[in-house]
Amino acid sequence: MEKSEIENKVKKVVGEVLNIAPSEIGNEANFIFDLGANSMQSVELVGAFEEEFEIEMDEDKALEIQSISDAVNFISGYM
Amino acid sequence: MKNRSSLHHKNLEKIFYPDSVAIIGANKMKGTVPYDILMSILNANFNGIVFPVSPGERFIAGVKSYKYVVDIEEQIDLAILVFPSAVCHLALEQCGQKGIKAVIIISAGFREIGGAGIEREERIKAIAEKYDISFIGPNCLGVINTDPRSHLNASFARKMPEEGPIGFLSQSGALCTAVLDYARAKHIGFSKFISFGNKADISEIDLLFYLMEDEKTKVILLYLEEVSNGKELLDAAKEVISKSGKPILIIKSGRTEEGAAAAASHTGSLAGGDEICDAAFEQAGIIRCDNVVEMFNRAIAFAYQPVPNGDKVAIITNAGGPGVLTTDSVIQNGLKLAKFSEETAKHLKRHLPATANRSNPIDVIGDARADRYNAAMSATFIDEGVDTVFVILTPQSMTDIDLIAREIAKVSSHYDKPVFASFMGATDVQEGIDVLQRNGIPHYQIPESMADALSCVVHFHKDQSKVSSVLITYNDVNAEKAKLILDEAVQNGRNFLTEDDASEVLKNYNIPTIPIQVATSVEEAKEAADKIGYPVVMKIVSQDIIHKTDVGGIILPIHTSNEAGEAYSTIIQNVKKHMPDANIKGVLVAPLISGGEEVILGMKRDSSFGPVIMFGMGGILVEVYRDVSLRVAPISEADATTMIEKIQGYPLLTEFRGRKAKDIEILKECIMRLSQLAMECPQIKELDINPLIVLEKGCFVADAKIMV
Repeated sequence: MEKSEIENKVKKVVGEVLNIAPSEIGNEANFIFDLGANSMQSVELVGAFEEEFEIEMDEDKALEIQSISDAVNFISGYM
Repeated sequence: MKNRSSLHHKNLEKIFYPDSVAIIGANKMKGTVPYDILMSILNANFNGIVFPVSPGERFIAGVKSYKYVVDIEEQIDLAILVFPSAVCHLALEQCGQKGIKAVIIISAGFREIGGAGIEREERIKAIAEKYDISFIGPNCLGVINTDPRSHLNASFARKMPEEGPIGFLSQSGALCTAVLDYARAKHIGFSKFISFGNKADISEIDLLFYLMEDEKTKVILLYLEEVSNGKELLDAAKEVISKSGKPILIIKSGRTEEGAAAAASHTGSLAGGDEICDAAFEQAGIIRCDNVVEMFNRAIAFAYQPVPNGDKVAIITNAGGPGVLTTDSVIQNGLKLAKFSEETAKHLKRHLPATANRSNPIDVIGDARADRYNAAMSATFIDEGVDTVFVILTPQSMTDIDLIAREIAKVSSHYDKPVFASFMGATDVQEGIDVLQRNGIPHYQIPESMADALSCVVHFHKDQSKVSSVLITYNDVNAEKAKLILDEAVQNGRNFLTEDDASEVLKNYNIPTIPIQVATSVEEAKEAADKIGYPVVMKIVSQDIIHKTDVGGIILPIHTSNEAGEAYSTIIQNVKKHMPDANIKGVLVAPLISGGEEVILGMKRDSSFGPVIMFGMGGILVEVYRDVSLRVAPISEADATTMIEKIQGYPLLTEFRGRKAKDIEILKECIMRLSQLAMECPQIKELDINPLIVLEKGCFVADAKIMV
């Protein structure tokens, strides 16, 4: 999968979980600081990524993902 | 991080008295720290404007919310960070861009968790330095200022405490909530209440100086889990106490013996971390408390009552037993029972029944009502021979408890004399206690606590002159020569000095040593002994041997030249047998001093407080009873006097049962010279002078060990 495709899908997932239009989400946006994710939503995001990309992420490492670009790089490693 | 004290001094005013506050990381979820802090501020009627900052919300609790702090158009004086630790640096960076200089970081997940947390803490410290931001925390409960000019509850404590004269600083956040709850029940009020958590930037020392100048604070309480810079804390406390006269009460947790076990000297093993803390706090005039109850019992005595003129106490009681117990406590705590004037005696005779005890302690008898308490109080408050009044009550069926409590408040309000009360019991007396506490009368569950609290107040004011006493510097010392000897030992990779070298170092600081000679042959040993005069003691000199007795390296007493020659051969043989590889410098010959009193002087370099000086009686007293006193260098003459007079064996140095007094003045001088040596020669890690023999006139070092 192309990186740009991963990026679009990540933004779509984040938009759904945090109730934000994907077009308003920047490539470097931080889930907590920029998008207002709380701790529950941070866990929800990991589950949503796994479902969307049909992967199983290392839970501890997945929770270190802070931003859209972090998520794209991390998920690329599973593709 | 460079010294930021002056910056903090300026920015702390914004932390306590901000006109505008941003809560960065606020949310709408009740029961979470970010939400509760926002609500604490709103509910406390903060005297300023509040700006929630929450990227996901347009408003919280009816207050407009902002995505970023930089989006707020108004100037922000104080930012409170409640974001998860992973993004605090992003928020702090924006605080810097916005020009905010005062920040409280509530979030946990920094140094206290180790690993990545340490990196996060370093990162926020660097940002703070870049923008000249001062911050409290991270990992803290927050800050409360009860002053109506601000009325800020920037914490997640359940309720705002009452306004009062106590400033409370705590390293533990959780303890703060317990303390607030405890204090509320007793109507104890606070001026400022600060949980400073990891103290990554603003420390307890910065806060002590702030409270020193704070007009609303009369008493400072401090809970510490670690003394990271003991010397600085000591100096700060001395300055605060001497400049403001405000007492500092400390609970320092972690009474551990760690470190003492590994010590190489007597001083090292006797001066454990907690003993040093005890001594250092006492030296600075800080009052150390063992627990929260003791701390507040003492604090209310300072906070709510005038300073007594002296140590004389009048006790008024309606129960004989508690009166006797209180009398015992008064005496045990170094206070005195007041002797009443004739006027007082007449007044008491006129107003109390014949069965009452009209001398001190005054027993108004079990059936006493408020009128008898009034009569006893009126007489004692006016009596110039009384400095403080203790009122004790036990609840009999006819005791009008509330009325007596109100009477205490009313009568005492007419006099500038302290009054403490103990209404003994629990349920029946509760309403009376409430009356007392609401009226600022310190109340104690048991009368013994009254005596302890008053004793702290009396001794604090009496001892203040000692805290600020002058230091003496001796100009007749040869520091350079002493340093050369020490440097040579360090350069040669030695851990300790040989006895002759140790003696030489002390000699250069004019600490009296006995004449010694090192012999390298039988003939030299005989000559040296003849020259010194008999009896003599002979000891092995080797840089490889610290415990000479263990290798048969000491022989005494030696009375003749032949014995000296034999002793030389025996010592060399013994050492070669036990430690064949030891490098032998020779055998030391020294006079065997008889008479005098053996004492021990020592020094240990503590990682937090720096050089610590120890004094104690020699022989078994030091080993068995640990009868020693400690002080942090530099040591003033007043400190040296206290060190000597403090030990239990002190009477042995004074004129005692026909024995003549020993030379205390030379002893004081030796302590101060040792302090100067410790300050000027950082190469010395530990030092033992054991024994120092004190004579009626003069003293001598009989043996010394110096560890480098």
